[in-house]
Amino acid sequence: MSRKETVGTDRRTFLKVTGTGALTTITLAGCIGTEGDGNGGNGGNGGNGGNGDNDSNGGNGESPDTVVVGQPGSLTGTWDFLQPAASDATDLAVQQINDAGGPLDAEFEVNRQDTTVDPQQAREVLRQFIDSDGVAAINGLYSSEIEPLWEFIQEQQVPIITPWPGSTYLDTRGGDKGTDETDDDEWLWRTVIGDTVHTAGAAEAMIDQAGVERMGILSATSAGEEGWTRQFTSWYEELGGEIVEVISADEGQSSYQSQLNELFSNDFDAWALSFALEDAITILRNWEDGGYGGQLLMEDGLRDDSLIDEVGEQAEGAWIAAGSTEGPNYDQFLSSYEEVSDEGLHPWAVAAYDATNIIALAIHHAGETSHEAIQQSIGAVSRPDGTTVTTFAEGKDALDNGDKINYEGAVTDCDFTEHGNVWGDVVVERVTPDGFETEFTISGDDLQDEIDEY
Amino acid sequence: MEIPLAQEIIFGLVIGSYIALGAIGFTLVYGLVNMINFAHGEFITVGAFVGYLAVVFGGLSIPVAVVVALAITAIVGWVIARVTFEPMNEAGAVPLLLMSIGLGLVLRNGFRVIAGPSRRTLPRDVTTYRFDDWGFFVTSQQLFIIGVTLVAVVVLHVFLSRTMLGIAMRATSDNEDLALVSGIDTRRIRNAVWLAASGLAGVAGVMLAVSQSANPNVGFGQLLLIITAAILGGAGSPYGAIVGSYLLGIGITVSVAFLPSGLTELNATMAFVVLIVVLLVRPGGLVNAEVRTS
Repeated sequence: MSRKETVGTDRRTFLKVTGTGALTTITLAGCIGTEGDGNGGNGGNGGNGGNGDNDSNGGNGESPDTVVVGQPGSLTGTWDFLQPAASDATDLAVQQINDAGGPLDAEFEVNRQDTTVDPQQAREVLRQFIDSDGVAAINGLYSSEIEPLWEFIQEQQVPIITPWPGSTYLDTRGGDKGTDETDDDEWLWRTVIGDTVHTAGAAEAMIDQAGVERMGILSATSAGEEGWTRQFTSWYEELGGEIVEVISADEGQSSYQSQLNELFSNDFDAWALSFALEDAITILRNWEDGGYGGQLLMEDGLRDDSLIDEVGEQAEGAWIAAGSTEGPNYDQFLSSYEEVSDEGLHPWAVAAYDATNIIALAIHHAGETSHEAIQQSIGAVSRPDGTTVTTFAEGKDALDNGDKINYEGAVTDCDFTEHGNVWGDVVVERVTPDGFETEFTISGDDLQDEIDEY
Repeated sequence: MEIPLAQEIIFGLVIGSYIALGAIGFTLVYGLVNMINFAHGEFITVGAFVGYLAVVFGGLSIPVAVVVALAITAIVGWVIARVTFEPMNEAGAVPLLLMSIGLGLVLRNGFRVIAGPSRRTLPRDVTTYRFDDWGFFVTSQQLFIIGVTLVAVVVLHVFLSRTMLGIAMRATSDNEDLALVSGIDTRRIRNAVWLAASGLAGVAGVMLAVSQSANPNVGFGQLLLIITAAILGGAGSPYGAIVGSYLLGIGITVSVAFLPSGLTELNATMAFVVLIVVLLVRPGGLVNAEVRTS
């Protein structure tokens, strides 16, 4: 056999085996869900899910020994850096709820499972929660999971209150439409403000407060980051600003220097960065190395203490626009949180505390653990009608006295709109090596005038 | 404003250096052990964590940490190969491939369990050198990465061309059966290949930890580019892998400047377009068989 033929055979073998390997890797990664950002697909109808009337939750009207709530989380994956604080805040709420006797005088438990923010894995976790664990409600899910699983979620008819998703997809979806019936309900509520709100605040801050009229954007191609970029661009241009260039880049690159160089070949007053933490750290270091300068605005997902730990000095002076963490009950929450956790707080962790309390209060209000009764109670315990309460203990006492209650949260006032959304302030903070310092705040009340449907 | 091509080439050389350090080891294993090691990315990750531990807890400088990571990752890779791949040596390419995929998944998730979600970055002390007349800048970190890669390439060249072990490696790569009957201890050669490939992966890991962070996915994230560079250069050829890596790196960066706004994320895709074109013209890769085995 000639050498050339040998090489040719080797090449064919190499390509064949490599191709087989690549396909197998992709398949295995999809099955096992080790990587964070697969799409996963919709997955069909997926069964009924039942009502969760297992032994632990008890049947309608009976007082169960234990009430279990499912918490799908990002224990691993791209967004895993946000989970520890959210888990601690949830556990704090659970502890306080049980200290107050629990909903329906039952032990309140949270069953936490990893989805890696992968839709396919999230679907399996939801199935397990509903079919096997008989959860009364669910506390969690990210936008990247909710959007592809929307039909599946609706079919389950299980109330979900999540502290994570900012997606504009939910602006007109979810909630109870303000009626007493469940026929028009969409079963999903969120305790954080949506992208529509905080990007409107960010755009207003840049135009009105900072006087920035021309901006460039460096954006990741993931759904969440593209969504932020699209929404911010829309508001910014509506307010009279000009986006001179948007440079998109895939995540996971070892360097973003050429993308920064391309972006900064344009003339603008400030630039925005829409990337997840890992890549944002690389980009901020590349930005400093290149000495590009300019005022930087970062997306809300980067408001995490890890950013300060890693690039506090390099990013000093940058702005970050995010939903305010400080709702009506924030100070009370913070003092309790600091006793149980060293994890840096972010808005989603505070929102997880609120979501847990609302679920527990809704169960107690419902007087049973059926999904329909809990769904009908979520608005009833949180909307502005009745005695204001800031903890489960206060709410339980009031409900036991026959009063209506209005839960005021730690991150927002939790007055859900008919689409299951909440309003809140938008805070623009400055990055310093020691932490985030508030520059200015845009009131959520002001933004309500600009947003038509939410 | 037009971006100087020199700047893009500098950036490309940096990215190419990351890729080259991984691709050389990957292609050595393919050429001499005859297996596609999909766990090669995890060997890089081992190097990243070793480098991080050496600097942060060992108090070593980054250059010394590179040497430590090279040595420890080489041993770790060799041990893993002895335990997993070598017993399956006669099983054929596909079982070995599946073993490497499974091993990669196990290692990657093992890192996750052990290391957790926190980012681990190395301390930075970066100086930027500006050459405005030439239209580019370069940082001390970029020079370090390019320099380390060049040293690795030179050492590899000397090793393959001037040492008995290196010459024996090339002979084994050409024809293992002939090498065996010629008295070459092919088992020793395989051990040397695993040590060299894993050691280079360890160096690549430290480089990535310097620029990004030591995290469970840092090596796996480079694997596609590494394999592409190896194919582009000519599978089994270390020199080809070097050429392929730098072409890929420069292709990725230069294409950003030429792509229209809104399509800049296609820069990596453009590099693969180059790969397809090259393979259509030269199915054996850029470095042909004669060069590879001369």
